[in-house]
Amino acid sequence: MIYEVSHRTSYRYESTVTQSQHLIHLAPRPAARQTVQRHMLMIEPTPTWRHDFRDYFGNPISVLGIDNEHRELVMRAHSTIEVARRGPIDVTAGKAWDEAGHRQAARNHDIDLDVAQYALPSPATATGAAVLDYSRPSARPGRPILAVAWDLTCRIYDDFEFDSHATDVSTPAVDVLRKRRGVCQDFAHLALACLRAHRISARYVSGYILTRPPPGMPRLQGADASHAWFSVWAPETGWVDFDPTNRLMPNDEHIAFAYGREYGDISPISGVLLGGGRHHVDVAVDVVPITGDSRPAD
Amino acid sequence: MTVDAQTQERQLDLLEAYGPTGGTYDELVGPDRRPRPHWTTFLHGLRRLTSRDRLARASRLDRQVRETGLVHDVFADPETPQQQWRLNLMPLILSADEWSWLERAVGQRARLFNAILADIYGPQRLLRRGKIPPALVFGDGSYLRACQGIQPVQGHLQFYAADLARSADGNWRVIDNHAETPAGVGYAVANRVMHADVTDDLFSECRTRRISNHFSGLQAALAERAGRGDPTVALLTPGPAHGDYFSHAYLARYLDLALVEGGDLRVVGDEVFLKTLEGLKKIDLLVRCIEGRKADPLELDPSSFLGPSGLVHASRRSPGMMINAIGSAVIENRGLGAYLPSLCEELLGETLLLRDAPRWWLGDETARQHVEARLDEYVIRPASEGTGRPGQAVRGRVAGVLSGDERTQLISDLQRHGETLVAEQRAGFGTMPSLTSQGLQRKAFGLRLFAAASSDGFSVMPGGLAMGVDAETAVALSTSDGETHDVWVMATEPERPHASLWRPRVESALVQRSQRTLQSRVADNLFWLGRYLERADWTMRVIRSSLGRRLEYLESAPTRHAGDVCLEMLISKGAALSIPVGSRRVSGRSATLAGQLASERESTYSLINSFDGIYRVASLTRDRLSLETWRTLASFRVDETWRRRMAEASVSELQDEIEDKLSLVATFSGHLAENMTRNFGWFFLDMGRRLERAYNLCDVLQLLFHAGQSDDESNEHLNFILRLADSYITYRSRYRLQPMLPLVLDLLVMDETNPRSVAYQVAGLMRHLEALPQQTGSNALTRERRIVLALQTAIRLADVNELATVGPEKIRPALSLLLRQALKDLPDLSDAISRRYFRLVDDEPHRVVLRHEA
Repeated sequence: MIYEVSHRTSYRYESTVTQSQHLIHLAPRPAARQTVQRHMLMIEPTPTWRHDFRDYFGNPISVLGIDNEHRELVMRAHSTIEVARRGPIDVTAGKAWDEAGHRQAARNHDIDLDVAQYALPSPATATGAAVLDYSRPSARPGRPILAVAWDLTCRIYDDFEFDSHATDVSTPAVDVLRKRRGVCQDFAHLALACLRAHRISARYVSGYILTRPPPGMPRLQGADASHAWFSVWAPETGWVDFDPTNRLMPNDEHIAFAYGREYGDISPISGVLLGGGRHHVDVAVDVVPITGDSRPAD
Repeated sequence: MTVDAQTQERQLDLLEAYGPTGGTYDELVGPDRRPRPHWTTFLHGLRRLTSRDRLARASRLDRQVRETGLVHDVFADPETPQQQWRLNLMPLILSADEWSWLERAVGQRARLFNAILADIYGPQRLLRRGKIPPALVFGDGSYLRACQGIQPVQGHLQFYAADLARSADGNWRVIDNHAETPAGVGYAVANRVMHADVTDDLFSECRTRRISNHFSGLQAALAERAGRGDPTVALLTPGPAHGDYFSHAYLARYLDLALVEGGDLRVVGDEVFLKTLEGLKKIDLLVRCIEGRKADPLELDPSSFLGPSGLVHASRRSPGMMINAIGSAVIENRGLGAYLPSLCEELLGETLLLRDAPRWWLGDETARQHVEARLDEYVIRPASEGTGRPGQAVRGRVAGVLSGDERTQLISDLQRHGETLVAEQRAGFGTMPSLTSQGLQRKAFGLRLFAAASSDGFSVMPGGLAMGVDAETAVALSTSDGETHDVWVMATEPERPHASLWRPRVESALVQRSQRTLQSRVADNLFWLGRYLERADWTMRVIRSSLGRRLEYLESAPTRHAGDVCLEMLISKGAALSIPVGSRRVSGRSATLAGQLASERESTYSLINSFDGIYRVASLTRDRLSLETWRTLASFRVDETWRRRMAEASVSELQDEIEDKLSLVATFSGHLAENMTRNFGWFFLDMGRRLERAYNLCDVLQLLFHAGQSDDESNEHLNFILRLADSYITYRSRYRLQPMLPLVLDLLVMDETNPRSVAYQVAGLMRHLEALPQQTGSNALTRERRIVLALQTAIRLADVNELATVGPEKIRPALSLLLRQALKDLPDLSDAISRRYFRLVDDEPHRVVLRHEA
């Protein structure tokens, strides 16, 4: 499937901003089943300086500064990405999570640092006693790694309620667990905290998901949103994705944009402003499939 | 008794209390209890002194510490007892041989850590091959992913410090490493300056090595690193609220670096700028004294604004600019020690000279199980801990003394995040002598040594910081008594002066007499220092003038005492306070009012508030003050006892105290006037003072003269104001007449040659404003110059006879109008100056984020 993803963010400030600097993760990364055909990021007002490079986790990132006074900031990202379908995955196969050896390489082999770095808790996925308790029914001794992840995916979907007002960007997993509600970001964090409590390597994935309008209804412009889920590493399969918000294992309707330990590593737009006072932000996201069955009429 | 016998007796006294070593290594005496050879010259010198001399020197040292300001944290509550910084008269003496080994060993570690950092922030081969466990690095909050790939060609470390302890077998071992900041080197320098001053003769006799060569080498290295001879080097401090601020300010002064806070800096693209009165000025090198993880709200800890936004990116683009590189603290991880011997072989091809105290990193499964099984033998501590003030290391959890719950918690912590913990055995510390009133006493100590990169490798400062430790509980530099010692290194040969690359440039800079750039924040503080000094001076003059005339009024007081009126007005400023009615006896009432004005915290003009203000803002600008000025500063620190004493003081007590403090203000102002160059900083200090003085005088003139009075009253008021404004003598010598209002007004308001007059202050303000950078493109007058010009013109155009004329409503309309203008214009002027020079249009920075919603 080929998608066109557009993400338009506009900030309106109450008073003049004299300087602003931003970190931007709005460009898709190439991945195993995913090819980036085109990407464009347009910013108004034109940044005084801007540098595009790869961040620590291998994601495309833009760092920029605007040193002219402004009251409004608009960022438009347009990307064309092709996502291939994956083969079937048997979550009940594979090594048990508590079997020694899968975490550390044999003495004569190099350690895969990309796997090792995702095994430890991060600030938002810290292990508290409650997290450990919640994880135990899923991380039963002898269970295969992917089965643990799938069990967590299902339990979080059942136990938690979607509520975009209960949490904010900085809510850690322990608080999500207490509130029993949150958004995709929170559910991903909780799953990661549970897995990493047992030193299972798991990473946070940000991206987009294809939404289908109700039958007979037209697709609403700008009504999509950015999404987040998690990915677990197993020695037999490598990285496998799980989406606890939708209780499924992503296929070609999830488009990954960035990987990190948690939200804070790859937030789509963050920035530091001088001035500006309060601000109002508008986000419009469109995920439009341009090939295949669901291609819209022009 | 012969001279020899006397000497013998003193020697006995000196070492009498110096008990047996008890199996530890002692610096002063060997196992035979005889002093080691490199101590003999010093002991000989010490024996020459009587015990009284020794104590006199010790108390001189105490005073130096107090006056240098080492005791207090600026913002600490004056009422709460603080840990005192103490400096003992006994130095720790190290022999030349021992030093040459330590120097090599500490230098080797610095090189090793540089190589490790280059790998961790580069290819990570050591991690991939398990030479360093990946989880040790990945689980350490000091490892900053945003800094991956930033590789300064000069190495990550410009500064490195090691905390050492001496084992019973005489070997040194490292108990902590410091790679984040210069780690309190400012304290070591301050200790040396104070200690060398008091032990002057002994210091030279012992042929102690000086530390100045080390620092001129460092300056040369900085100039080389910046690639130019006169680089702008700034030291970035978290600010006065930080426990180490003293060290930062002292180091900045010593090395002639600009002391800056995050808010003083601004990053534009690849470069870091300092906000100064003349606009943005580019910085060549930034010496970082803030924690790496708090250095940039954009890419690191989003809640910390200690560093300017964008700093990581600026150092990504110019890695050599940041000293030490951001993220360098990861090698402080205590778990790393066990891996260092093999890393040293691998990276340097050398045997590690100086080993770490035995420690087990609990991210290793085998080590964790071993430690859990023998928990009572260990102290459990965080593997990584921020760089704190020397002596403030966290003490750790001693499993043996924990309660049941605490023990359960500890075991759960080990299992849940062993990666962040280490287990240590209490291996004990060596001992050294400390001079007490009972002679020399043995005490456990730790030693911090400081290394800095120079053009030919690392140079280790020949000196250091020795401090008493709690041998029973400590496994790091933790101390409860805060006692420190200077460290003396014996020279083998006379020292050659260091050939500095820096000096010639300094000379050429002197010829230029270029104005050192002034940070907006510092200008702000100096302006307020001027205001508080003048305000304190004025308040005390009002009190003195009110009390001083009491005798003349004991007989008859037909009118309200001018002094009391002024006291009441000043007390009521800033708060609605009840003015005590007090005794009918005038003297009693004046004393009550004066006591209240001295001690009332609610009143803006009270002495205690002005002193607090002086102490606070002067402390904030310490790096701009001369050392003498800095010493006087400590006397402005008044406490609750002082406040209570003032509130209840008798007239004569008040008078004595006021005279003392008036001369203190005069001394302090004198030091400022003598020692500050007449640059922008001075302009702001002086403007603050002039503005305050003009305002206060106008305020009292308005109070006393806006209404017409009886002759008696008028006479009394005129005498009072002449004394208050220190112009009595001038008036008498000029007029030889009884005070008359028009003449007094001429002298106090209009006369631009009288340093106490309003016109004189306004003219001074005008001069300074004209000399300051204007920051506007056009030729139009700035707002602040408009205000001053209007006020100056109004004063010049006024007619003294008209000012003195009483109108039909029993008031003096012209005088009142003029003074009202001044009382409105002067505060407006203060605001206008703040707006233009201090804020530079910046608000507080804040963050915006966008979340993953669906």
